[in-house]
Amino acid sequence: MPDYHFEKVSDYLWELPQTGGMRVPARIYATQKMLEQIRNDNAPQQAANVAHLPGIVSASLAMPDIHWGYGFPIGGVAAFDCKEGVISPGGVGYDINCGVRLMASRLTREEVTPRLRELVNQLFRDVPTGVGAAGALTVPVDKLKQVATQGARWAVEHGFGTETDLEYIEENGCIEEADPSRVSAKAWQRGQEQLGTLGSGNHFLEVGYVAEIHDENAAKVLGLFPGQVTVIIHCGSRGFGYQVCEDYLSVMDRAAHKYQIALPDRQLACAPVQSEEGQSYLGAMRCAINYAFANRQVIAGRTRDAFSRALGIEEKDIRLRTVYEVAHNIAKFETHRVNDRLVKLCIHRKGATRAFAPGHREIPSAYQAIGQPVLIPGDMGRYSYVLTGTQKAMEETFGSTCHGAGRALSRVKAKKVASGRNIIRELEEKGIIVRGQSRRTVDEEISEAYKDVADVVDTCALAGISNKVAQLKPIGCIKG
Amino acid sequence: MENKTAEPGSEEILPPWLTALDHTADAGIGVTANSLAELLARAAWGMFSVIADVRAVQPRETQPVIVEAADTQALMVRWLSELNFRHITEHRLFCNFEVTHCTGNRLEAAVIGENIDPARHTVFTEIKAVTFHGLRVEQTDGGWKAEIIFDL
Repeated sequence: MPDYHFEKVSDYLWELPQTGGMRVPARIYATQKMLEQIRNDNAPQQAANVAHLPGIVSASLAMPDIHWGYGFPIGGVAAFDCKEGVISPGGVGYDINCGVRLMASRLTREEVTPRLRELVNQLFRDVPTGVGAAGALTVPVDKLKQVATQGARWAVEHGFGTETDLEYIEENGCIEEADPSRVSAKAWQRGQEQLGTLGSGNHFLEVGYVAEIHDENAAKVLGLFPGQVTVIIHCGSRGFGYQVCEDYLSVMDRAAHKYQIALPDRQLACAPVQSEEGQSYLGAMRCAINYAFANRQVIAGRTRDAFSRALGIEEKDIRLRTVYEVAHNIAKFETHRVNDRLVKLCIHRKGATRAFAPGHREIPSAYQAIGQPVLIPGDMGRYSYVLTGTQKAMEETFGSTCHGAGRALSRVKAKKVASGRNIIRELEEKGIIVRGQSRRTVDEEISEAYKDVADVVDTCALAGISNKVAQLKPIGCIKG
Repeated sequence: MENKTAEPGSEEILPPWLTALDHTADAGIGVTANSLAELLARAAWGMFSVIADVRAVQPRETQPVIVEAADTQALMVRWLSELNFRHITEHRLFCNFEVTHCTGNRLEAAVIGENIDPARHTVFTEIKAVTFHGLRVEQTDGGWKAEIIFDL
């Protein structure tokens, strides 16, 4: 186990002081108990490594769901000066703009339960998971370039969802300055047949209900009530984004040499934000951001159709509206207050979620009083959370918080734990119907493979960087 | 093999030259072989065993593959990435890998497999990327060995 010398800042915040080549300290949000677990991973070292990068501002931050990632830790937040700083594909991750949409219906759990199996089966048919599954949209490259610049709006204009959905998506479902000329032929090819698909791994579509309300006022503003049926869509930019990341990891590897950036780990490969390579990655990454926004929008549209078909109720009576959609693997420019000055920064969030405070101009007008909704999915057997952003997050974490539970067991170990058990039947006995591409997929994603997301969320709430609004529990799940 | 998925509790039996590496977030394989060409071929089989039930794939069609890279490690990553790319974009699964010519930075191969048939093939997972993280491709006293981590 690496020997870390953490200094306690508060009960929920620990610091690795600036040493050696670190330009700033690394700070980890965790309870003492969680920190013991986190120590066993290489992730604190990764947070410290990020602190070496040129132009990093204030601190290399890690949320309570921190775990090992490629170069940068997952659960990491790093802000870079736009003039002196760098941009790194490793700080965003392979699944560019992986994110979560929460939808809430007018229906209650009791109204849906009698036809739950039909609903889950319909969703499994209508929302393809990935390779080998039929039903994805085939979009030729010239049209895909429109997807890459228009994002969720492209999907709305092609009949998936409504204009109102766009109001409730981070960046309104489209980031500007996406540059299709920076995307490789391979990425376009990978993206052609994957729009409207979930993908595999930890991605899912979940039908659930509001199990507990923690903040009545915020829940009311978000239109959430106990027993209400909800949908969570968790997926990203699919092969398109993975290929963009892969292409630019080698570009950045060369760029780091070219600009003589000293890296404690080669996987932190990066380039100055203002360099040709940095701008090129930004242009391509933004295409992938928009692809992911469009992808979730298509899935949202298909989810509405599936509900209507399976339940035999008209869409207007189900009224499955978008509560909010967040990105948790992204880099973008934001203005934050640093040492009493407003500065434009390049914020990397890798397995971390934007959590802006009440009154921020980028929050939908309906939510101005409560802050930006934050959606934290858990595992398929337990629960997920709705949070909101806080002023303290603006002050301490560049308006960021956690993103999920984080794995506790490897896939090999999870399969061993699931061995001899019928996980699908076990979940059914708990009232949760699961459909997966294969039994192996479901076994690898058992609850025991994940940390308890409640611990992660409670730590963020106690640290003051988020406010707990509601807990959602699953009743149906489809997995890639 | 008609049976698409393992029964609950049954362990998947891997060939003696292939091991599943324990990695918290992702998946990895360890491979041993007598030569670099055999190592590359076995690594490809190992990767497809992560993706699908490779034993259910029929050797129906052959495709040529040529890959070049700066060194042996990059060659391994490029080769596997190319096969993953073809699997995704052409909806194919491969089961036989014949590396016919191989130096440390170039390989020529024939890969054999068939189109994905959802009635016969179960695709377990997608591989987002073949990574350089923890990558090992090295000659040992008795032959060659590799360790490769896939981002899932």
